[in-house]
Amino acid sequence: MTAFKNYVENKHKRPGPLTGLRVLEVCTLLFGPSGPSFLAELGAEVIKVELPPVGDVTRSLNPFGWFYKEQSPMFMHINPNKYYMALDLHIDIAQDIFKELCAKSDVVEFNLRPAVTNRWNIGYEDVKKVNPGIIYIEKNGFGQWGTYAEQDRPSNDGAAQALSGYAWLSSFRGRPPLKQSIWIADYYGGLMGEVAVLAALHHRKKTGKGQFIEMSQSENIMRAMGWVWPYQQVTQKGAEPSGNRDQCICPADTFLCKDNLMAAIAAPAPEEFKGLCAAMGKPELAADPRFKDHTTRLKDENALAILKIIADWARSKTADEVEEMGRKHGFAATRLHNAIDQNTDPHRRARGFVKEIDDPLYGRYVEHDFPVMMSRTPPKIKWTVRPVGFDNDYIMAKILGRSQQQISELYGHGVLGKWKDQQGRRPPPDWDGKEGMIIRR
Amino acid sequence: MTEHKRPKWAAWADHIRAQDDPAKNFEKPEALDDLVVLDLSSRSMAGCYCSSLLAELGAETIRVEQPGGDLVRTYSPDGIMVKDTGLAYLQEGRNKYHVTLNLETEEGRDLLKAFVGHVDILIETYPAGKMDGWGLGYEELSKLNPRLIMCSITGYGQFGPDSGRAQYDYDNVAQGRSGVQYATGEVLPEGKTMEEVPYAVSTKAGPWIAWSASATFAALSILAAVHYRGLTGEGQAIDVSTPEAYERLNDYALHWYADQGVCNERFGSLDTCLWLYGFFPTKDGGVFLGGLRLEMWKAFVDIIGKYEEWKAEEWTTLAPFMKKDWQLKYQAMINPETAKYTSHELTMKSIDYAKSGRLAPITPVVAEIVPPWNTMHDENWIDRGIFTPVQDPVYGSVVCAQAQWKSTETPPRTKWACRPVGYDNGHIYLRYFGFGPVKLKELEGKGII
Repeated sequence: MTAFKNYVENKHKRPGPLTGLRVLEVCTLLFGPSGPSFLAELGAEVIKVELPPVGDVTRSLNPFGWFYKEQSPMFMHINPNKYYMALDLHIDIAQDIFKELCAKSDVVEFNLRPAVTNRWNIGYEDVKKVNPGIIYIEKNGFGQWGTYAEQDRPSNDGAAQALSGYAWLSSFRGRPPLKQSIWIADYYGGLMGEVAVLAALHHRKKTGKGQFIEMSQSENIMRAMGWVWPYQQVTQKGAEPSGNRDQCICPADTFLCKDNLMAAIAAPAPEEFKGLCAAMGKPELAADPRFKDHTTRLKDENALAILKIIADWARSKTADEVEEMGRKHGFAATRLHNAIDQNTDPHRRARGFVKEIDDPLYGRYVEHDFPVMMSRTPPKIKWTVRPVGFDNDYIMAKILGRSQQQISELYGHGVLGKWKDQQGRRPPPDWDGKEGMIIRR
Repeated sequence: MTEHKRPKWAAWADHIRAQDDPAKNFEKPEALDDLVVLDLSSRSMAGCYCSSLLAELGAETIRVEQPGGDLVRTYSPDGIMVKDTGLAYLQEGRNKYHVTLNLETEEGRDLLKAFVGHVDILIETYPAGKMDGWGLGYEELSKLNPRLIMCSITGYGQFGPDSGRAQYDYDNVAQGRSGVQYATGEVLPEGKTMEEVPYAVSTKAGPWIAWSASATFAALSILAAVHYRGLTGEGQAIDVSTPEAYERLNDYALHWYADQGVCNERFGSLDTCLWLYGFFPTKDGGVFLGGLRLEMWKAFVDIIGKYEEWKAEEWTTLAPFMKKDWQLKYQAMINPETAKYTSHELTMKSIDYAKSGRLAPITPVVAEIVPPWNTMHDENWIDRGIFTPVQDPVYGSVVCAQAQWKSTETPPRTKWACRPVGYDNGHIYLRYFGFGPVKLKELEGKGII
């Protein structure tokens, strides 16, 4: 497609679609910060406000003890392209500064327990007074009202997986529910939250009106569970897990191959199923009355029968051979990719989806870019995370017009803060004291 | 169960509810009611889900199916059909007009081009090259309507070495290609093979989460493109690949391998990065336990009565607990303790601990791992409008998950669940082109609609 000709080479010559929007976040962990990151990758200016001197809890998290230049790789993954401000929102002067920033912003995002923003005098009603057009979103476990919210229940991604039924549906039948290896409710919820935000911005453009949005970790992932709800309503039975088998599409499953690797296959459409049967050397199966059309194949006994046939065939091929058969015969098939493939696959690199970031503080490292290519306004990651309070001076001077002396006073009163001398909070160990700072004293 | 006592901040909760309760959604304006969407999705619930998100926000959404209906209508457990429609599409036909149009015919393609002049957004999920082959690629369509935002959701994207693969995009294959499935699942017991323990393998998520991820990234990017179009008047082409969209929700695995050469592997229901964080057994099932700060972990140990015995007082950092051997050691120590309680007992212990425990108000996260049947019947979610059935004139009362967020001004809402194939041909072709019954009959006779 010519719209994407030389897309990757020219990516940085064009603005992101949200250039000119300003977003404030007071968020920690994953559900909160992931959303504003997506906006930052789409070109918005995002100011991450942390509580000094420790900041976001994610700065401590790591896989089995591995940090990248003392920083949490997870923190890096979900917080690119932001400006870093540390403001102690427990103090009234800080609350006033925050509202001054709100007056000059389009969106403000929180993930705190219900009513905390209100206690800090930066609740929706307070902010609305200084900016009636503000889009104000609060994300947390259970929303702002209802029994669970009022019990002040804490929540995590894993709780959302547990309470929504998502984990229940994701194991093999007869096995205990399985937690995902990724924080799916957090990330997916963060993503959906920004759909809410951009829709609200569209409404504001038409009417001038802002709004308040609340989103619950658990409720959001339920939206993505589709057929489960009418299934339970129609059959009056609970939906149950089925391992790697897709219960709504047949055949669609993951199979163990000759090389002990696994391959996923899907072939529900007539020509896809015919192609699969031909690949297996059993073209007659396409005419078998048990498998004659998709609805018939989905009947449980028929589905089990065809999946068994495919499993036996797949065991005699390598996973790559299965994938290649899919290409040749026109059904969907892939060897399961892992972190090695993520790094080495030429397709991901050629699309610029996996790329190297060139960061003034953290140097060159490999990262995922935004997973959407936009022909006229390419989204992109430009830089990674910063120490707690790293961009305070820049924000105070550029956006709020404070003098260096005023800024120094605010530090003196503990309104503005900087990083604690602790892993993940302070600059990387090889930092020269200047690189990456926008205003250098 | 003790009676629910309202918190000090109950007035806040009431104040918010008065403004954003989904029960009042239909009294409010719709955010996207000035936009028209054409959804050409084929075989892919990602496209349908994407257009649902826009339709829930008020966009006029016209779903175009090939005559006879799209394959997605057959997606359903055990092949269950409600009238002509499977249970999956009964969720994602929502708020859309349904017309048929045969793109294999020239006249059908001409009609599609005529639609393009009227619409803001076009969504399609054919393998790359198919639309171009029909003369319906972005280059051609953008000439007819330079403001058009055309979004393609596919398995391999619109460019890159694999984009020539003429294969359709399916959720389970995308999960497999994303890298997420590989690292999710039970750990193979030592000395066993995958044939002996067929459930201890890479395991995909049950729901269509790869499709949902690409659909939602697509919806977000479409709205961003609409914003940009408002500034410049220019439309554009958008390219989403489902495995990439889902892979982006993966975290440190890419970087970990690049820097350390470590390939992220399955770790059951514990978490490679987090402590306290995992699923643990109870007397009647299991719970999720979470405590990502040292104090929360200590509070949990206190709740199970091991604070002194395990010397929690002396712990000064969570860091060593995240290491693999410590995680496994403590998992083995915790399992018999949580198994002494029911899931509900443990949940209530955590809530009570926040009020009266030694480390109160700090308390660990405890959440029962429930089947979706319980979720659907949980009063909390029902009260918050998630499972309010849609009263559909064709399909009757249908439970559709909705109200995924609440808002004071333009909340999403579901007006109808679905429509039969070609249900809106009369209405839509009349409104857009002035085609009355005689013309429609003629088009039907020629196999165009």
